Order: sequence, then structure tokens, then C-alpha cells
Amino acid sequence: MTDIAVAEPLVPVPVGPVPGDPAPTRRPGLLHALRHGRGLAGLVLVGAVVLLGVLGPLLAPYGATEQVTGANLVGPSTGHWLGTDELNRDILSRTLYGIRADLVVVFAAVPVGAALGVLLGLVTSWWSVTDVVAQRAFDLLLAFPALILGILLTAFFGPGLLTVGIVIVALEIPVFGRLVRTAVRTVREMPFVEASQVVGAGPLWVLRKHVLPNSLEPLTVQLAVSMSVAVFIEGAMSFLGLGVRPPNPSLGSLIKDGVRLLHDAPFFAVGPLAVVVALVLGLLLISQSLSEARRA
Amino acid sequence: MAAALIATSTLVAAAACSSAVDELKTSSGERQEGGTLRVGALNDIIPARIFTNSSDSINLLIGSVYDSLIDYPLDELEPQPSLATSWELSEDGTRLSLQLRDDVTFHSGRPFTSKDVEFSIKTWADPVWTVQLQRTAAAITGFDTSDEHAITLTFAHPLSNVFDLLDMLPIIDAESIDQLREGKAFVGTGPFTFDSWSPGAKISFKRNDDYWRGKPALDGIDVSVIPDPQAQVSQLRAHQLDLILGASYRDFESLGKEDRFHVNQWNGAEGQVYVGTNVTNPALSDVRVRRAIAYALDRRRVVDEVFRGAAIPISLPWPDYSPAYDEEADATYEFDLDQAKALVDEAKADGVAIPKLPLTYPSENPIYGAIAQIVQADLAKVGIEVELDPQEQASVIQQLIGAKFPALWILSHGYAHYTPSTLAVSAYPFNADHNASLYVDPEYKEAAEGVWQQKPGAVDPADYAALNEQLLEGSFLLEIAITLPQDASSTEVHDVGQTKRGEPLFYDSYLTR
Amino acid sequence: MIRYLLHRLGSALLVTVLASIGIFALIRLVPGDPVSVLAGPDATPASRAAIRAELGLDRPFWSQYAHWLGDLARLDLGPSYKLGGDVGSLIADGALNTVVLTLFALVLASVGALVTSTAAVVWDRRWLNSLLSALNTAAVAVPTFATALVLVLVFAVRFPVLPAGGTPPGGFFTHPDIAFQYLLLPGLALALPAWAALTRFLTEALRTQLQQPYVTTARALGIPRRRIVLTQALRNALPSSVTVLGIQFGTLLGGAILVEAVFAWPGLGRLIEQGISARDYPVVQVLLLLSVVVFVLTQLAGDLIHAWLDPRVRLNGVS
Repeated sequence: MTDIAVAEPLVPVPVGPVPGDPAPTRRPGLLHALRHGRGLAGLVLVGAVVLLGVLGPLLAPYGATEQVTGANLVGPSTGHWLGTDELNRDILSRTLYGIRADLVVVFAAVPVGAALGVLLGLVTSWWSVTDVVAQRAFDLLLAFPALILGILLTAFFGPGLLTVGIVIVALEIPVFGRLVRTAVRTVREMPFVEASQVVGAGPLWVLRKHVLPNSLEPLTVQLAVSMSVAVFIEGAMSFLGLGVRPPNPSLGSLIKDGVRLLHDAPFFAVGPLAVVVALVLGLLLISQSLSEARRA
Repeated sequence: MAAALIATSTLVAAAACSSAVDELKTSSGERQEGGTLRVGALNDIIPARIFTNSSDSINLLIGSVYDSLIDYPLDELEPQPSLATSWELSEDGTRLSLQLRDDVTFHSGRPFTSKDVEFSIKTWADPVWTVQLQRTAAAITGFDTSDEHAITLTFAHPLSNVFDLLDMLPIIDAESIDQLREGKAFVGTGPFTFDSWSPGAKISFKRNDDYWRGKPALDGIDVSVIPDPQAQVSQLRAHQLDLILGASYRDFESLGKEDRFHVNQWNGAEGQVYVGTNVTNPALSDVRVRRAIAYALDRRRVVDEVFRGAAIPISLPWPDYSPAYDEEADATYEFDLDQAKALVDEAKADGVAIPKLPLTYPSENPIYGAIAQIVQADLAKVGIEVELDPQEQASVIQQLIGAKFPALWILSHGYAHYTPSTLAVSAYPFNADHNASLYVDPEYKEAAEGVWQQKPGAVDPADYAALNEQLLEGSFLLEIAITLPQDASSTEVHDVGQTKRGEPLFYDSYLTR
Repeated sequence: MIRYLLHRLGSALLVTVLASIGIFALIRLVPGDPVSVLAGPDATPASRAAIRAELGLDRPFWSQYAHWLGDLARLDLGPSYKLGGDVGSLIADGALNTVVLTLFALVLASVGALVTSTAAVVWDRRWLNSLLSALNTAAVAVPTFATALVLVLVFAVRFPVLPAGGTPPGGFFTHPDIAFQYLLLPGLALALPAWAALTRFLTEALRTQLQQPYVTTARALGIPRRRIVLTQALRNALPSSVTVLGIQFGTLLGGAILVEAVFAWPGLGRLIEQGISARDYPVVQVLLLLSVVVFVLTQLAGDLIHAWLDPRVRLNGVS
């Protein structure tokens, strides 16, 4: 990354796009990517899942925790489209409500983690001392595989959606922190930034004017990737029994229950699994189309 | 923790067994020699805890490698001879003389003598091993070992449950105690010898050709440690295992319906699952609220839907063969939401505030989660809001010991299938001096100690009635059900047994491959 | 360069030491203590005190930490609390199982990716590419635990042709054919996402190669496309894929924890999960430290290689 700067010819700062600072010209490209092909498919998938989650209470025939007397782990029928679970609850209703837990994780925890990471990355990377400390701290966080971090944090806070959220925030901070740091280091060595500092621009001005716009695209792509990872993490943590607190459902906890009852009730996991795959797939398609648009 | 429930329920002598689903003994062919039995267990052995029956593989090890002085039949409390051939209790109940077998040798070749009995009991009384009935073992104060093949034990006071101790206590070898501590050797007098242990994976046993009861039919036993119940079922179905100790109740139910498998359900090695209450919680300090909760427990539904029939709804801990069993008292708390609601309303009218109560349970075992959610739904109907608080087993035990549960909890306990005094003095939730419910009551303490310090087999039934009355009056621990341990095997496995303590027995077993 | 090297080494060491203190303290702060786990609910206070003393948990924090450091320095990790056996051999056994499984998955993924990506490039058909692309995305999008369970259900339960889980009874090396059967399902479940990622990368790399001038020249000379791909392009595209392979290995190690849970595979993932749940401090603190050390070493190696390649760092001394 640093050798780009070396190769950069020393030219006077021109009006219009600058090599190495191409953000403004390409941003429409990202939006464009979401209106076609893969990006559109991803957007539709994610949109559909979000819609189901938001409208869940209207669509669900039963309450999320409503126990229907006598309906113990029955198969799909007209009364229960996806069957019932071992505590006599309608799986379709639980799936619809369960989406909400995942949406919270995806659209709240990930952005919070990302924002914190970006902020930390921006601030610390400006001075070499804070930079070193932050980098080592990020190293430490990244040193533990995601699930081990999850198990550890759950031992502290007890299982629950909040813990899943904390784990995801903890995972995203170093990811975004490093991404921003790379951008800062790259941009800082660019001639026009050095020039602007020479003419008296403060660090904040440089961060806002040059670093942020320049790192917006990789951040957007990473955000989409991180969101799909978050769905994974929620699923995996719930799978290991560290997820959302009963009796509330989440997609991961539903899959866990379904998997446990795979022999007796193979229908159980189908619905929640389909939703998870749709959500991950959608986010993945979006991130792929975004990064392709970036490279194009 | 799937373990703990299954382990407490895996809590048993070869003689008696009843199978709900299928009669154990099959007529297909006669006893055959040879073959290694492949067993799936949920938990590994822990050398430091080898004398607690805290894991299914520990139970298997103790049952296979060691013998005890006497054996209880599975669903009776009548001691039968084992290493001790006969015994005599003094008139005042403070001295017990036992005649010992003279033809028994340890796996190391050394003959078994009365010194080994003394050593085993003293080891058992050492707090570091945290055994069951440690208090009873510690109350044995005198050992007369002047005869190699007889021993006389002197007690500090009469011990009504001394035979419980002798049934549980394995006779161990003093010479190899250090290797035992490290898990390098387990030397006993039992039908199988310890062969090898790869921690976290496998424990192997070989046949003891010199076993004093006669040579077992199996060549050996290989125990695979498989913590996932589902994986055990898959491996049994895939013929990688012959017998599994840890499957879910639902899996046992469906395996039992197939012709290819046997499912054994052991009456006589029961555990009890219960709702505990912290009686110092302002809302729960009113006994009417605790009774309301007891009425609102839908025990029948828990038995049918969660335990899949492998359980019995109860109000008192005792199984029906226990001397403390009282059919009428056991039916005190029938599921009655109206009654419960009336009690709650009455308490509220008297100014008892019932805020949202946390209900703690171990998160590892789905059984507890399911029961907790049923309890939560029913309590909501009678006006008691409950917040579920799943926690890791390690935290739950710490809170249990420290009596730190804020309000309600769900767990299981054991010991009610032995002499009733064993429960009252050994099971922590019932401890009259200090228990997790923080329930202190002089009358309860008197009733509990009263049934303990008496001569075995001669406890006055009126004392048991008094204890039952105290338990119901206090209602600090609300029983849900007696759970029955189960195991499943392929139809090639025959004549598996179980001890009262939940140890699977393979001395009589054989394979028809 | 030497100054930079010392600087980096020092900082790596500092991170490791700080991490070891952090881990040591952290694990002790987790609610629930090993003594209650070991003693069980019915133990007497005397029993618990005896166990606490036996484990050395009654000593002050720094004395326990110093003791641990001493054990680490002598490479004698001592016995575990609850899981049974020596911490050293527990970790060695777990590591062997995890590494064998991960390597197997890696080989499966690489060979698979080699086949699918060359196929995609050699038979450059629209339907094939769409199919591969769809499969690829699916392999990434379906959670590992779901694929693992479907595999068990189909190949071990419905059609019992492969073992449902566990490690081969005789070890990996006595009967390789049997070991292979045990490895196949968990390996496949673990390999699928890596397979997809590698296929994507290698296909891209091959396509890039095909746009190079030497390919145009070769085509002009009448050499068939297939031969160019298999001989020249593949050879040139492979080196860059090896770096990706390294990254995938790390990801696979991380993903092994779920696959180990489903297949009852006694590896490191299961070990740490059991260790934390039993509050088995000796096992957990060593494993956590190990993951920190591995990570720090990889970072260090990466930085050093980068420094060695970058003359500015090599000469000036600071990154």
C-alpha cells in the first residue's frame, strides 16, 4: 500500500479528481451496482427478510411465546404452516418474531461496532503512540477466534441478545479500526495531503476532507460483509447455547432447536434455515456487487 | 449439564430391572462369550472426583472395576451380600460387625482384607474427595481389624443410613491410591480391570479372569466420551456404538419404538427435578405464594411432553418403595390454576408485592430450559411474572452452594431413593442447617435429624410422617417429578444391569454378533 | 533493520506478557468457580476448602500467576482441574485432532478448488459458470453447522455409509483407509466455504493469466486453450493462491469449533469450550495464551517480511 505513494508523481494539486483520492467520482458506481444483477438480487432478498421481520407481528398467526395446548411438535398443517415446537408453539410465528432479533444484531450491533472502530481507528492512527497501542489492542481482540470470544464473554454476561451484540461489537471494532488506519496511513503519505498540511490544515480537517471520503467505499463493502458475518455469529452462538434468552426466539436459537429435534421433526429447522440463508446470501451478494463496482 | 440430570438420573444391583419399553432379556440365543462392548458416555472421568457419581463414565468405572461390601437390589432397601457375606448390628445400633469374603484378590493380585475396608472408609470420610454421605462415613469412629476377614465398625451415634454408605462405597486398594489420584491406575476387585484412559476420548476395560463371582462374558468395555447426545444417537444408529448412556428423552422414546434397539428405564436409580425458592425473597417469604407456585406446576405436562413418560409427577421426593412414601401426601399438589390464583390474590390482598421474579436454571441442558418455559407460562396465568435466567452450570452450582439465587431456580437432586435420612442430611437443598432456600425451621431440623440418628431398618413410620409434614408445610422446595434414568442399546446387547447409585453393570452382559 | 527487528520483537513480547496477565485475570473474574464445579452441589464447606487448597486457589493472585509462569517456563503445564489428565497431553491430543481435520479440509478445499476452477476456465460455458457461481455463493452462505448436520443426516443416518462422528478408534495412522472415512464428513463440512473461496480466487487468477500477452502468443501459435491453462496459466496463477491458502488455514482453524461440536470431534475447539464451561483454569489459560502467541507470531512474520521487502522500512527502521 505504501509503494503507491512512492510511485505517485509530484504534481501540483489540480482542480477535480486527484489520483489516490477518487472517492467522489466512483460513489454513484456503488449505488448503480445495487440496481442491477447481483446487487439487486441481494437487495431484494435482504429487503424481503427485513419486511417479514418488521411486519412479523401482523403476519404471525400466534404470539412468539404462545403455547397451544396439545400441539406438541406436530408437523406442518393448515393450522401451523411450519409445525409446532416441543413447547407447543407455532414455528412460523416464532420464525417471524425471531427475524427481529437478527435484525437488531445486523442493523444495530454491526453499525455500532463499525462506528466505534472507525472512530477509534481515525483518532488513534494520527499519533504514533496511540497508533501502536491501538494496533496491539486490535491484535489482541483479533487473536481470539470469534466464537471463543463469544464463549468467554457469555461466561461473563450470561447468554442473551445483548451478549451477542457485545461480541459482534467487539469483533467489528478491530476490523473497522484497521481498515480506517490503513486508509489514514495511505492518505497521509499522499502529496496533496502533505501539501494541505503545509498550508496549515489541522488533523481534523484532513481526516474529514481526505481520509473519510477515501475510505468510505471499502467501509461500505466491509459493512455488508460484517452484517452477513453477524448473522452467522448469532446463529453459531445460539447453536452453542449462548444466544438469545428464552422464551424469545431468534433465527439461530430456532435452528438450534430444530437441529436438536432433527430426527423427530425434520420440518422444524427448514423455515428458520431458509430465512438465515436468504439473509446471509442477500448481504453477501450486496457486498460482492459493491466490491466489484469498486474495482471496476 | 445434560450430564448432571442424566447422571443423577443415571443414579443402581444386577437383580432388579424393569423396562418400560422392552423387556431387557431377549430370547434370541444364549449367553455368548467374547466381544468388546462399545459404550457412549457424555462425560469423561475426573480422577479427583472419582468417588462422586458426577459423570456417567465415572459411574461405569466404579461399577465395573470395584465391588462394595453390600449391594441393594435396584428397587429395594434390603442389603444383599457382596464382599461382606454376613453382618450383625449391635442392640443400640452403634456397632456393626461384618464377615468378609476370604477368596477375593485385587486386580494387582494382592488379597483383600479388613484393612482395605478401613482404608476405603477413611478415604471416603476425607473431605477432599467430596463423596456422598461423607457425614455418615465421618460418623464411623472405630475400626476393629484384628481379624483379616472380619471387621467391626463403631459409630458415634446410630446411623439409620449406614447400609446406604456400604452400598455406595467402593473397596479400593491402598497401594495404588496415588496412581488413582493421577488417573493412572484404578485397582479394585470388580469384574473388569482398568486398561487405559485417553483423557477426553476413551476409557478401556478388560475382563478380570479371576473375578470371584466368576469370569464375565465380555472381553472388555470401550467407553467413548461423546458430549453431544445427538452424536451418541447417530453413532448407535450407525453401529459404531453398542450402548449409549446419554441421549435425550425424545431420542430414547423414538429408539424404543424401533425393533433394532432396546431402551432400558431404571426404576430404583431415580433423580428428582424441582423448583427451588429463596424464602428470604420478600415475595416468596409468604408461604401462600410458594404454595401457589406448587399448584401452578403442570407436572403431568412436564412428564409427558418433556420427559416423554420417563418420569413420575410428585409432591414429595420419595419413590413408591421408600419407607417415607405416602400416597396421599404425595398427591398434595395437583395442578390447579384456580387454587393457585386464589392463593396469590389472597397474598396480594394482604399486601405482599410480587415483582417480576428471576427463574435461574442451567443453560446447558435443554430439559431445564423446557421446564422453565412451561413454568413461566403457567405462573403468568396466576399473576406471577417470571423472567428466565439461564446460566452456566458452573455459576448455577456456585449460587446453589452460596444460597445466592435471587428468587426461583430449577435443578435436580438425588438421594431420595435411598434411606430417607440420606436425603435429609446429605442432599444440599434439604440440609436443615444451611440450604439454598435459606429455609430455617427448628421443627424441620428436628424432623430431619430425627430420622437420621436411628437404627437402620427400625425407624418409626411416625417420624417419616412428621418429616413429610414439615416438607409440605415449609414448601421451600417444590418437587416436580421423579426422573428415571435410561440407556439404549442395539438388540445384540443382552443383560445389562444397573446399581442403585446409577452405575451401569456389565458383569452379566453378553453380545450376540 | 536490526533496530526495527528488535523494536518489533520487543513489542510482540510485551503484547504476549500483557495478554498472559489479562487472560490469567480474566478467567478468574468469570462468575462460577472451579471448586464448586469440582465439589458438586452436595459437598460440605470442609470439602470445598480442601479442594481450594489442593488447587492452590487460596494463594494470592500474583503468587498464582508467578507459579503459572514458572510452570510455563519449565513447559510443565500440570494436571487439569476437571477435564482429566495433563494439560500438556490434553492440548497435544486436541491439537493433533484439530490440525489433522483442518489440514484434511484444506487439502480437500485446494484439490476441489483446483478442479472446479480449471474446469470453469477450460470449458468456458455460460451455464457452467452460472452453476459454479451459484454453488459458490451457496457454499459461503449456508452456515457450517447446517451443512454439517445435513451431511450427518444423509450419509450417516439415512444411508449409513460413513461414521457419524468421533475420531478413528485406532488413531489416524494405523488404518489410513478407516481414518479417511472418519475424516470425510467433518472435513467436507469444514472445507466447503474454503473450497468456494479458493475456487473464486483461482478462477479470477486464471482469467487474469489468460489475458496476458504470452497467452495471446501461444494461442497465435496454435496451442489449444486447454493446454495453455493446464501448463502455463495454472503454474503462474498458483503462487498467489498459496497466500490465500494461508489465510484460509486460519479461518478453518476458527471454524473447526462448530464442526467439532457437531461431529463430537475431540479437538481444540471442544477442549476450550469444555474448559471454559468447567472453569478449568489451567486448560483455558494455556489455550487462550496459545491463540495469542500464534497470532502474534503470524503478525510478526508478516511485518518482518513486509519490512524486508520495503526498503524504506528496512533502511529507516520505522514503519
